[in-house]
Amino acid sequence: MDRETVSKVARVARLKLTDEEIEQYAADLEDIISAFSVLDEAPATDEYDLGPVKVEDVLREDVVSRDSDPAELREGMKTKNDWVRGPRLS
Amino acid sequence: MKIGLEIHVQLPTKSKLFCSCSTSGSTPNSSVCPICLGLPGSRPFLNRQALEMGVLIAKFLNCKISDKVWFARKTYFYPDLPKNFQITQYDSPLGVDGHFMIGDKNVGIWRAHIEEDPGRIKRVGRSGEEVALVDYNRSGIPLVEIVTAPDLSSPAEARDFLTDLIIELRHLIDVTGAEQTMRVDANISVGEERVEIKNITGLRNVEKGLKSEANRQTKMLAAGKRIVRETRHFDEERGVTMPGREKEFEEDYGYIGEPDLGTYRIGALAASMTVPETPLVRAARLSEELGIGAQAARQIVLTDWALADLFEVLAAKVGAEAAMSWTMGPLSSSWKDLKEKVPELREDIVGIVTAVTSGKMTDSEGRMRISALSSGQEAAAAPAEDVGDLDALIVQLVDEHPEVVRDYKGNERAANFLIGQVMKATKGKYSSKVVAERMKKELGKKV
Amino acid sequence: MTTFPTVDGLRALDEKHLIFCERLEDPLAFEQGQFHFSAKDNLCARDFQARAGSRVLKGYRPPFDATPIRRLKEIGGLLIGKTNMDEFGFGTFSTNSGFGIPRNPFDPERSCGGSSGGAAAAAALIPEHLALGVSTGGSISCPASFCGVVGLTPTYGRVSRWGLIDYGNSLDKVGLLTRTARDLERYLPVISGPDPKDPTSQAQPVLSMKGEVTSVAVPTEALADLSPEVTAAFGEALKELERNGVKVMEVTIPSLRYAIPAYYILATSEASTNLARYCGMRFGVMNQEFDQGFNDFFAQTRSEDFGPEAKRRILLGTFSRMVGFRNRYYIKALQVRQLIIREYNKVFEDCDAVLTPTMPFIAPRFDEIARMKPLEMYQADFLTVPPNLAGMPHVSLPCGYSGGMPIGMQAVGPQWAEGSLVSFARSWEESFHFRFPEVRA
Repeated sequence: MDRETVSKVARVARLKLTDEEIEQYAADLEDIISAFSVLDEAPATDEYDLGPVKVEDVLREDVVSRDSDPAELREGMKTKNDWVRGPRLS
Repeated sequence: MKIGLEIHVQLPTKSKLFCSCSTSGSTPNSSVCPICLGLPGSRPFLNRQALEMGVLIAKFLNCKISDKVWFARKTYFYPDLPKNFQITQYDSPLGVDGHFMIGDKNVGIWRAHIEEDPGRIKRVGRSGEEVALVDYNRSGIPLVEIVTAPDLSSPAEARDFLTDLIIELRHLIDVTGAEQTMRVDANISVGEERVEIKNITGLRNVEKGLKSEANRQTKMLAAGKRIVRETRHFDEERGVTMPGREKEFEEDYGYIGEPDLGTYRIGALAASMTVPETPLVRAARLSEELGIGAQAARQIVLTDWALADLFEVLAAKVGAEAAMSWTMGPLSSSWKDLKEKVPELREDIVGIVTAVTSGKMTDSEGRMRISALSSGQEAAAAPAEDVGDLDALIVQLVDEHPEVVRDYKGNERAANFLIGQVMKATKGKYSSKVVAERMKKELGKKV
Repeated sequence: MTTFPTVDGLRALDEKHLIFCERLEDPLAFEQGQFHFSAKDNLCARDFQARAGSRVLKGYRPPFDATPIRRLKEIGGLLIGKTNMDEFGFGTFSTNSGFGIPRNPFDPERSCGGSSGGAAAAAALIPEHLALGVSTGGSISCPASFCGVVGLTPTYGRVSRWGLIDYGNSLDKVGLLTRTARDLERYLPVISGPDPKDPTSQAQPVLSMKGEVTSVAVPTEALADLSPEVTAAFGEALKELERNGVKVMEVTIPSLRYAIPAYYILATSEASTNLARYCGMRFGVMNQEFDQGFNDFFAQTRSEDFGPEAKRRILLGTFSRMVGFRNRYYIKALQVRQLIIREYNKVFEDCDAVLTPTMPFIAPRFDEIARMKPLEMYQADFLTVPPNLAGMPHVSLPCGYSGGMPIGMQAVGPQWAEGSLVSFARSWEESFHFRFPEVRA
């Protein structure tokens, strides 16, 4: 978990870190990842799920319905003529 | 040249993929809710209809259908993506290893899966400094993504592939406007190295983009230059592919499963589905079974489904060749008017064609009668004197055939004999409907 | 006959203990049949902001109520406020809150525990109060233990998560903190049950409040690395249980050693995707200039308004699922969870509950916490993480006091067996007297 890796991960996660932060987090994460390498010893298995409880075939019928008011939702955002404002694309 | 396509088509469901918002919002951000806006505390709920459509498409594409599927989060940052991750299927597509025929050629389908659409961005401001305005009505609309093998060998072939695919999909799931709204990422290599053209909207732009990129690569290779593996986008205005923005860094999508949705057992669902016969499959069958040319079969099927139905009925009665010439000729040209009447007039049409092919009626008379049938309404509105002639004839015939009057008392169909006589005598001048009406009226007076 | 807090009383508590991120300011007027409850600040309610302890959500007013809150309101609950917590649930001591650090009801120099620190303090300090908490890796048990209250974490999927601001989707559970197990009995059925808005809540069998705990298993792994006070108190509690007719046996659950790594990898992998949406657009803090590139725009808000622990977990989680690391960490952790579930299920063939101390020490002082490194803090969760990772229901109950500070024990049941844990809690509180801080609210 060197500084270069931390910098790369921070970029992917859109976090702007100071040099001190990079240093600090690199040390913390190095600690943590080494301790976590005990996982390598655990047996692997093909039988696993995304959660601890089986959730299967939960489906919703294709019916239009409305619980919220879009106008109220728009009011909570920064808009211009009902379009949501965003930053520059380049 | 090798071309592979990643095709995104919107599924025509009423509500979105993971929420109950309508898929047809008009004014910006009018069809949105906490789920498709990604508000904290919201979570997705899968639309059954969208899943079933996706499975049907995968099965239609001859894919091996997975027994169990789930969803994944593809994380990247962009203003049109409310959660800054897209819920898609990464390691569990609906189906893999399928194929799709265009003409004689077999194009491999690597996979098909479903995912949610992001919102729609409008760029405003000075060129090069544009800011985003976003409409999230589109956010959460279900998409099917179909990924082909790089088996296509020219931009024209890619265009044919997409055209045919849309014809078939339209019959399967009733997508309208797919030519304009579908979005394609294309991979094309003239030489060894491939270039990706991302996010081309609409069939025409796909062909233009591929042609322009093929040209670019060919020229570069001819000049001895190396093609760089890169991502480009198609500039509609300039009609050429442009380099992608100089990226500061590569996205790492960091796929994880979507625990909020759980798993879906689609194996049984897929096994129980029958894929209906789609237009091009039908055309291929007609061509093979009846020995008609592939182009002709295609034309019949693509003119109209019901016309093809009629063609098959005729072919059974009078053989493929005659059925072909009648279908492609008089029936096709009158089809606009004839189409709605076909259910009631089918027997008449078949009768006319049969009569002509067996020599009982002349070709031109047959054509006239078909024409009369199709414009039947106008005949009914013919001037009174015409009908007078008709009525005179009807009265005469009824007088001459008292046995019909007798039979008519118990059975309406006894009138058919006289109706036929009138049609013969008047040589298709009147529609059988009008003749039948007036005949029955006259007979009714007598009983 | 419920006693109700007064606004002045709540204000006094807040000044001393920083329990609430936001609460009712108007005089509290209660009607016949009403009761008062609070919700951890990561549960959405229209009446208040929902900031989940994070500055990045400053100003966010949800346009809907979380399902557990709605259900309590429907039977006469009055939501009096949102309780303080570690940012997004990231923490064991509530020291990572963006809005002040809550202080232990028994000793304000000590931590409430976390991440539902404010909820536990509210339950301890306000008589007849129901506090909704949320647990991902132990965030109900830990503060319950440090604050001397009862904390129930239901089976994963028992209570709808609609309206819960996510930390880890396969790990988060809404639960209850109260002074008495009677309240668990009363309110668990209300907040439980399938909710169309949360598909993971549809897998549950009907909640049964029946069941008994007649035998408990103590894993040897849980008896190592404990402070002397906790060892002593827990030992006494086991003797008391035996006197009450509960059979106590020792077991070993070897895969428990993998629980902390598997948990933190899964939780942070999921959290790093859940937190991607906080980017200065659409909700929460929206104070950046639009006239800059989107990467800078997003990074600016995230860097300014996430606390250090949030950043650390985002980095860890992003790393764990990146190309080249994903199989070794994220996928492996999923597999290990299954292994731990299987081992627990094996143990449950021979006993009704697994019993351990809740935390390895009493509530630490803030200066002690300041000296802890992140890895140390993560490892302090070794008793609460396993049932949380496995989605098993568990209850933390006061079982001793040392220097006036509470010590908790934690009973873990098989999935869906909340009923027997509640009856275990009820019979325990009949034989062991719970102490509460003397305070007028």
